Amino acid sequence: MAVFQLRTVLTPEERQQRQRLILRDTLALLSLFAIVIILFFVTLALFHSFSVHRQELAQRWLARGEKALHAGQPLAAIDALRSALAYAPDDDTMQIELAEALAAAGRTQEAVAYFNTLLESRPGSGMINLQLARLAARQGEESKAIDYYQAALDGTWEGDGYIRRREVRLELAKYLTDRKQYDRARNQLLIAAGNAPDDVNIEIHIAAMLEAAQDPANALHLYQKALQHRPARLQALLGAGRTAYDLNRFLQAREYLERALNHPDFEKQPSEIQAGFRNMLSDSDHILLLYPGDDLTIRARAIRILGNKKIAQERLADCLSSKTAVSQELQNLASQWQQLPSPLRLLQLEQNPELEQTIMQLVYQTEQVASRECGAPTGNDALLLKISQAPEAVEQR
Amino acid sequence: MNVQTIREKTARQLGKLNFPLTQLELEKIAPTRDERLFLVLSIFIGVLSGLLVVSFRIAIEWIKILTLGSAPHAGQFRLLLVPALAGLVVAALVQLFFPAARGSGVNQTKAALYIYNGYISFKTVVGKFITSALAIGCGHSLGPEDPSLQIGAGVASMVARRLNMSKQRLRLFAPVGAAAGLAAAFNAPVSAILFVIEEVIGQWSAAVLGSIVLSAISSVVVARWFWGSEPIFRIPPITLRDPRELIAYAVLGIAGGFAALVFSKSLGWLRPRLRAFPVWTQYCQSGIAGLLVGLIGFFGFTQVMGPGYESIDQAMHGQFTWKLLLVLALLKILATTLSFSSGTPGGMFAPTLFIGAMLGASVGSFEKLFFPHLTGTVGAYALVGMGVLFAGFLRAPLTSIFMVLEVSGNYSIIVPVILANMIAYFMSRALQPVAIFEVFTHQDGLELPSMEEAREESELHLEDALRPVNVPVIKGAQTIADAAQLLAEAHASAFLISLWDGSWHSMTADELTAAGATSTPDTPLERVLPAERAPVLFPDMPLDSALHYFPRWPVLPIMNRASRGTLEGIVTQNDVLRCYQEH
Repeated sequence: MAVFQLRTVLTPEERQQRQRLILRDTLALLSLFAIVIILFFVTLALFHSFSVHRQELAQRWLARGEKALHAGQPLAAIDALRSALAYAPDDDTMQIELAEALAAAGRTQEAVAYFNTLLESRPGSGMINLQLARLAARQGEESKAIDYYQAALDGTWEGDGYIRRREVRLELAKYLTDRKQYDRARNQLLIAAGNAPDDVNIEIHIAAMLEAAQDPANALHLYQKALQHRPARLQALLGAGRTAYDLNRFLQAREYLERALNHPDFEKQPSEIQAGFRNMLSDSDHILLLYPGDDLTIRARAIRILGNKKIAQERLADCLSSKTAVSQELQNLASQWQQLPSPLRLLQLEQNPELEQTIMQLVYQTEQVASRECGAPTGNDALLLKISQAPEAVEQR
Repeated sequence: MNVQTIREKTARQLGKLNFPLTQLELEKIAPTRDERLFLVLSIFIGVLSGLLVVSFRIAIEWIKILTLGSAPHAGQFRLLLVPALAGLVVAALVQLFFPAARGSGVNQTKAALYIYNGYISFKTVVGKFITSALAIGCGHSLGPEDPSLQIGAGVASMVARRLNMSKQRLRLFAPVGAAAGLAAAFNAPVSAILFVIEEVIGQWSAAVLGSIVLSAISSVVVARWFWGSEPIFRIPPITLRDPRELIAYAVLGIAGGFAALVFSKSLGWLRPRLRAFPVWTQYCQSGIAGLLVGLIGFFGFTQVMGPGYESIDQAMHGQFTWKLLLVLALLKILATTLSFSSGTPGGMFAPTLFIGAMLGASVGSFEKLFFPHLTGTVGAYALVGMGVLFAGFLRAPLTSIFMVLEVSGNYSIIVPVILANMIAYFMSRALQPVAIFEVFTHQDGLELPSMEEAREESELHLEDALRPVNVPVIKGAQTIADAAQLLAEAHASAFLISLWDGSWHSMTADELTAAGATSTPDTPLERVLPAERAPVLFPDMPLDSALHYFPRWPVLPIMNRASRGTLEGIVTQNDVLRCYQEH
């Protein structure tokens, strides 16, 4: 609006002109204001339609990208996800999926560069560290992979962080197991098991991983925990039976395996697996028939010990006869057998628990040495050899 | 339309709009009207420019999606057809309806300022909007910033004319609008203000600076209302990890200097040759350029089509390998040279930033690959690379530095930016003495002031013409007879009179004779002197500040600022003129 110096002396005509000028300027400014308002709403309408369309395009291309990625077409996924990102550049999910697609397409260098850049902007991101760990694992960079996995565990996760951290830990454990770093894998699995909720699926899954990490004892413990849920899950029964069997806890193994074989889902298992578990159960039964357990009567124990003695001596005799040159170990074993009272009667055994123990020790030693010197045993010899690995565990519950 | 026609049209418009008042009458009844309106209108110009620039960018995006598809990729025949057809349409529009829409917009705005009294027609603004949006949206390798600058300047010109502003004010409105347009396009007000000062008006002028700032801020507020406060690109975190990294930034500066040279030479070579072809070929040059740019996209490098902001963003976030980045930089130089030289309306800013970002990211990725312990983020290199090309190619060193700081919002990058930008700038100046905008003006047959030269012009001061006091100095209390005697002894034609209050007067021999004729010889000089006193001038004042005193004062005393009334020396008209001749 016009502003005037009031000190100026103006003629009446000039004052009239000044008033007209004020009016003109006011109208001009008002018309400008009206133009601004109209233009604003036109721009707003344009912008709104444009923004909506951009969002639609972003979602459309994201869907195509994800579909291509799941269909194993990473190159198509890269194109689609790049297009999606052009319309939603700040979308974390799209960025990570693009990097995943790059990695899946074998463009590892690009994927690593992409993830590294993402990591620089979100240094504590668990997801990005996890992806970098996977890429490092794929590139055979073991220490880097483990570091990234660890960073992923320590990193931030949005929403379901608790679950994602457990998944990362299990993934790390699997990676360590594959690299035969069983101790480190076991540590991770035990932490995961300790933090896991009371969920049968998780317990079975971790137990299976512990088995793979050569920790059947903890695996059995977890299977047993899983079996506390009703109804009992076949996988838990099979796992418990298998781990108990591996731990020489044949009494437990028989119990779990019997339950597993009677489980309605067992018949749905592949026939090889069924056969494997049936053999396991059969072995457990036989072992329990061979094993001179403490719960037997004195006579029954003595009968079994004598039977085992006979089996072991026959095995030794066969082994010695098959050898042209007898090793010192076999010779020592033979002389130990000769030092035993002969003939040995049931009554002698019943009255001498120490002798029982000596004979069973000799039986186990014979089976172990014969297995080393003369090849893998079969039949009862094989079962005795199995018992010999942890005789005290056979009837452990 | 020639210069004379436009000048006449401007004069007619000014005359018509001022009716029934003349400019003199306006100044009498409303002496401060222009000044006050100037500030108010700056805000209106900013808002209007901001809205238009937002619409302009949306128009470009819509055209791109509708013509090239939402995700253009290699092997699509539309990549060949669309830019070629758009080129033909745009060329026809420019030749038949909007001849002033040709080119980037920066030189056109300067021409409006220096030649056409700030006049930019409504038709030019409409033409620039339509033709640039069509060309850029259809994949020509050009950017929207320079057209935005011209659109802003055009809006300012229209608003100023509507409000019957004076001729002097009308001229000042063009840079105000230019800053608003550029600020909205860049979403970076400081860079826009600096660019307009560096490249359009060439000097820090207090008369216009306030309005430029107001309009730039207004337009950015509008742009941010729509786009948000984020810069055009997502900026990754930036750190200078190791001082040795500066070596890599210096290498980037050198690479940027060479790239700027290649880019300027290509444009300087091809543009005049294409313009020298018969007029009818100009109807198809844009089409052919579009076809060639489309070919680049068709064979797998769609990133070079259009302004390329997405690709800059991707490069900043490490999505390309260093070899691909280098190829993209080279192809962008080629594509932009073709598009721009063919006369297609569109700007050079975005392509310059694209080339710089690709070059920078390439250096950064290379370093990350081979010296991983030394380097920071690839994004930092891309960002510095943008500044490097800006400094080397557009020759706006101050803007280039502040642009990177403003866009990144990170002050820690300043050392690499200054280092790399200055290397590129000085290399570019050494290898290509004439800046690219000047090359274009010469090619267009115009003679606009060189902003680079203007920046470097050393202003002359009174101290450059100062000489010792070699004329008689007489006290005011001395008589006319004393003065006449001293004057005769010194054979001087003028003398200085020191008065009791510390002020000074100077008098010629003729004036003394005239005074002697009306007074007795023993009359003190101060009694015959008029009330006026010699102007108070100091050695650091501009030389031209003395010029308008000479018809009245034959000798001007130059005072010492530290000691009131003490003479530093004197200057005469001859001293001043000789000083100008010698420099």
